[in-house]
Amino acid sequence: MDIFANLAHGFAVALSPINLLMCLIGALVGTLVGVLPGIGTIATVAMLLPITFGLPPVGALIMLAGIYYGAQYGGSTTSILVNIPGEATSVVTAIDGHQMAKQGRAGPALAIAAIGSFFAGCVATVLIAVLGAPLTKLALAFGPAEYFSLMVLGLIFAVVLAKGSVLKAIAMIVFGLLLSMVGSDIETGASRMAFNIPELADGLGFATVAMGVFGFAEIIRNLDAGAEMNRDLVQQKITGLMPTRKDLIDSTPAILRGTVLGSILGILPGGGAVIASFAAYTLEKKLAKNPSRFGRGAIEGVAAPESANNAAAQTSFIPLLTLGIPPNAVMALMVGAMTIHGIVPGPQVMQKQPDLVWGMIASMWIGNLMLIIINLPLVGIWVRLLRVPYRLMFPSIVIFCAIGIYSVNNAPVDVILAGVFGLVGYWLIKHDFEPAPLLLGMVLGPLMEENLRRALLISRGDWSVFLTRPLSAVLLAIAAFLLTLTLLPMLRAKRDEVFTESEN
Amino acid sequence: MADTMGHSATATRNTSVAIGFCLLAIAPQIFEFIWSIGTIFGWGAGRGPATVLISHATALVAGAPAALIGAAGGDTKKASSDVLLALIYSYPLFAVAILTVFMTIRSAQDYVGGIVLMALALFALWASSDLQGMRGFSFGAGTAPRMFGGLLVALGAGIALTGLLADGPGMAHYSWRGPMFVMASIVFFALAIRPLGVVVSAFTSFLIAAMGTHETRWVETIIVGACLTAGCALLFPYVLGLPMPMFPRFLVQ
Repeated sequence: MDIFANLAHGFAVALSPINLLMCLIGALVGTLVGVLPGIGTIATVAMLLPITFGLPPVGALIMLAGIYYGAQYGGSTTSILVNIPGEATSVVTAIDGHQMAKQGRAGPALAIAAIGSFFAGCVATVLIAVLGAPLTKLALAFGPAEYFSLMVLGLIFAVVLAKGSVLKAIAMIVFGLLLSMVGSDIETGASRMAFNIPELADGLGFATVAMGVFGFAEIIRNLDAGAEMNRDLVQQKITGLMPTRKDLIDSTPAILRGTVLGSILGILPGGGAVIASFAAYTLEKKLAKNPSRFGRGAIEGVAAPESANNAAAQTSFIPLLTLGIPPNAVMALMVGAMTIHGIVPGPQVMQKQPDLVWGMIASMWIGNLMLIIINLPLVGIWVRLLRVPYRLMFPSIVIFCAIGIYSVNNAPVDVILAGVFGLVGYWLIKHDFEPAPLLLGMVLGPLMEENLRRALLISRGDWSVFLTRPLSAVLLAIAAFLLTLTLLPMLRAKRDEVFTESEN
Repeated sequence: MADTMGHSATATRNTSVAIGFCLLAIAPQIFEFIWSIGTIFGWGAGRGPATVLISHATALVAGAPAALIGAAGGDTKKASSDVLLALIYSYPLFAVAILTVFMTIRSAQDYVGGIVLMALALFALWASSDLQGMRGFSFGAGTAPRMFGGLLVALGAGIALTGLLADGPGMAHYSWRGPMFVMASIVFFALAIRPLGVVVSAFTSFLIAAMGTHETRWVETIIVGACLTAGCALLFPYVLGLPMPMFPRFLVQ
């Protein structure tokens, strides 16, 4: 059995002291940002990218992965106790979780959230291990045309699943693609859109843009709303963590369903943890015999979304590790981390860097184990952190980000660029543009351009190559189908609006 | 719709949006002019302010129309980059600004958002206009930027169009305090890190950023700032081994 040998190898890597330490740090930092509202996972991973510079690649990626799934655990704590989602992925957890806390059942809510996450994490780990190898084999059969079509499909998925206007999401992706073209052209070496600024010759730093658009822009936006958020903390001491027998029986099917749904949505490009948690909550509500219980402290409403977001957070590593294509913005940052260490993500990573891939997979299981310990007995410490006021937190984040960006290239210009992108991000938020597709476009840009060029070169300029190669045609057909599916109701609604207006 | 909003109110609003677009249309020129003032003091290289002013003014007023007429007459003389900027970027935006005056904007958020994206795309088209295009069936350096730039122009126009056709939110409220102080802190850090080192620049930037909200209490801010500075000064150079200057250059020497 190959899988067992690989997993054993992975555990050997992950259990080395340095990697265990990295895993613990990742889980701790993840829980921290998950608990604190106002700092997102994307911003944190971007912030810590420069720090991973000095670490060995395996340790660095283990830590960054830990932050992502760790934040899914931490987010639920804030949602349940404060009714503010600590993380976008636990927005729905707040609905029933906080009600449970108000009824004095905060302990069981927290426990079920953690148990659900742990179970989902274990399943997702196995899934990555099982699916990894066959998907890699498939990926090796891909030519440039297929790669290009696959990326188009991924971007379309991101558009379809993004909230808000489809047009705006596509525009953000194209904007990201354009940004990725600043700097030297890969093939001819010509300097593109760099305006003779030497710092731009190498292109816009990925960490720089991410930190600006997600870190600085978030801070500026939060300051808008007034630094002091209304925190209606559940004050009483949390007693009795153990859920009752009935709680366990009620939540088991919800956890199972959440895990399955989350795993599927995580693998799909453009998906990820946020959508998974929403979808799982909706599903539970639809399936429930008595849907009116939801919103009044139904334990399924905590169990399902929390399992789903954790499952999705982990399975979204599958496309990254097997195809080298990041399905969401956090994974896009992981690509950045890999490239910093000179690892080109793609199907060959699995064969060339078995330490990295299997070590990371094994570390996820270890990390989940650590997280359940970090989160349940130590919940009191995290709650105390919520009392740190934002007026002290935000300048600290600004400085930390600034030093971090500077340390990537020792370039002051990068810091200013990140600031400019902070303003750009603030403007985007104000105009209701979502910045996540922009980041995805920016990461996929060079890959897409390269494969497009190569495909057309091979076909001697014949664009029909994307349709005549069967795999590529299928991928594009799915993309087109999805896009029409989402555009149709929108067009109809727009037309209806126009018609009702003209009748007046 | 019109009677509830009041016709004159819409009109003034549209005019200010149109004026904003006009400013946006010459923003790169203004930026280069401000930048060029630095050359008087010997900072940076590039054209002096007088040259910049004259060449952009002639490009906008005379050069571009002449090039347009020339192109219509089949004259394919290579236009200068200033003229191209006026042609590719400024003129379309002026046209949009003029059109804006006559439009009923139903969602300023979408309309302005779309037009600004369009402006960015036009700027990218200009910036990549000197790059080589297709060579036979192989892509040149400029092909992909032009392709995606063109696509973004279309998408921006589409978004602006939805702002005209469907009702939606107006312009959101921008606050100035947060953005200004956070930006000031970032810029200060960028300028100070080389000469002054981590300790001084991080602490000062912390205080500048803290001014971004009126809720700041100075005593606790200074204590936290000092702790954070100390933490960063230990974490980055020593724990993570990233080389950076610690103290002001003049003190070290």
